[in-house]
Amino acid sequence: MQAVATKLIDVTENNADKIARQWYADVRKNPKTPSYHDLPADRAIPQAVDFYTKFRGVFSAKNPFDEARRVYAKYADDCYEKGIPLQEAIYAMTLMRRHIWLYAEFQALFVSAVEQQQAVESLNRTILLFDYATYVITERYQELMKGEIDRQLGALRALGMEESFTGSKVGIMACLLVACGFLTYYYHAVMASGVIFTHLFYIPIVLAGVWWRKKGIYVSVLLGLILISSHLIILKGVPLTDDLIRAIMFIVVSAVVALLAEGFTKIEILYKTVPRSGAA
Amino acid sequence: MQGYATKLIEITEQSADRIALQWLKDVRANPKTPAYHNFSDEKALSHAVAFYKNFRALFCTDKPFEAARKFFTKYADERYSEGIPLHEAIYALILMRRHIWLYAEFQAVFVTAVEHHQAAESLTRTILMFDYATYVITGRYEELMKREMEERIRLDSKAGSFSQKLIHGGHAK
Repeated sequence: MQAVATKLIDVTENNADKIARQWYADVRKNPKTPSYHDLPADRAIPQAVDFYTKFRGVFSAKNPFDEARRVYAKYADDCYEKGIPLQEAIYAMTLMRRHIWLYAEFQALFVSAVEQQQAVESLNRTILLFDYATYVITERYQELMKGEIDRQLGALRALGMEESFTGSKVGIMACLLVACGFLTYYYHAVMASGVIFTHLFYIPIVLAGVWWRKKGIYVSVLLGLILISSHLIILKGVPLTDDLIRAIMFIVVSAVVALLAEGFTKIEILYKTVPRSGAA
Repeated sequence: MQGYATKLIEITEQSADRIALQWLKDVRANPKTPAYHNFSDEKALSHAVAFYKNFRALFCTDKPFEAARKFFTKYADERYSEGIPLHEAIYALILMRRHIWLYAEFQAVFVTAVEHHQAAESLTRTILMFDYATYVITGRYEELMKREMEERIRLDSKAGSFSQKLIHGGHAK
């Protein structure tokens, strides 16, 4: 294989920059690669040069699939990072392959009958590599898409604290509720004031909404009841209006948080189940 | 185009079932197509036979991209609905192409120098068709995934809860 292909590989390696520029002129206006139309030369051409300079390694590898996986997974990473859709990434690579042959033909590399036979063999080998490349890139893109979704969902999971607080949510909530009860008593009975301290109630309210969704509203109802009961028992002469508004706000905030948290869960489910093309 | 390719097309059309069977054996055991390992024989064979029977139409058309778009969009729709991952759907197709050539080589279709030249030209044309096929299938899968996602969100929204509407709004942005 090495002997047969040497001519094609040599010409590709030695003219990597020239072929890459011809490829760039093509992808810049090809209707099947619109993402490349505005991609600056200094970002696109090095990708093609890299591809052509690595051509020998993949072409001559004893285990072409492993080598293809190594090289083309990186190509996929690079395209994905540039925001190029999968179909365009593959088509751009197809054009890279075509430009190798266009250049070889232009240089009249394969003229004699023997050379024509070599051309067929080189073509077969190139096609094999591109079959592997297509497989690797498609698979890699799906991995990257899944990875990105997982990362985004990670933020949602962190918000839900699913992993870090497993099994101890009830305990933490109980402690927070006791602390809120104590604060209510302290401010109402000792300080004879209703200001500021209720802001701290939003900590257990938000956590309950995130952890238990709609069921978390019970926590805000409980806190509202504590506040109003304490007011009725301890602050008998003071109008109830302020604390009543605060109690209502607890429930409103709790409901909003619960609905948002439900929304996040729904999004997580949708993302996890929809991309069927990634299903192995 | 028709002239030099006739041999390859004829042998593919006439031996569609036999080539499809060889392809089936391959995808059944190939580590790159695990989704086909437990797939029904009948269904899988129908994929390959449909391709081989349509080979002439795809090969001889004046507008190869349009013909490829039409045929491979249907191919993508079917594979997607069958739950075949994209990279496997494409690789299975690549194997269909390889089995045409394996069969042609086995039948010694291209022997003389002239026939070798014809083989090279047929190969180039086949590759062009597959370049288009890959492009069409990847694009179509992406479209189908998006459509399925939107459909699910639409159904969720129809269910009416506020949170579901919230997701829909967020997604639309």
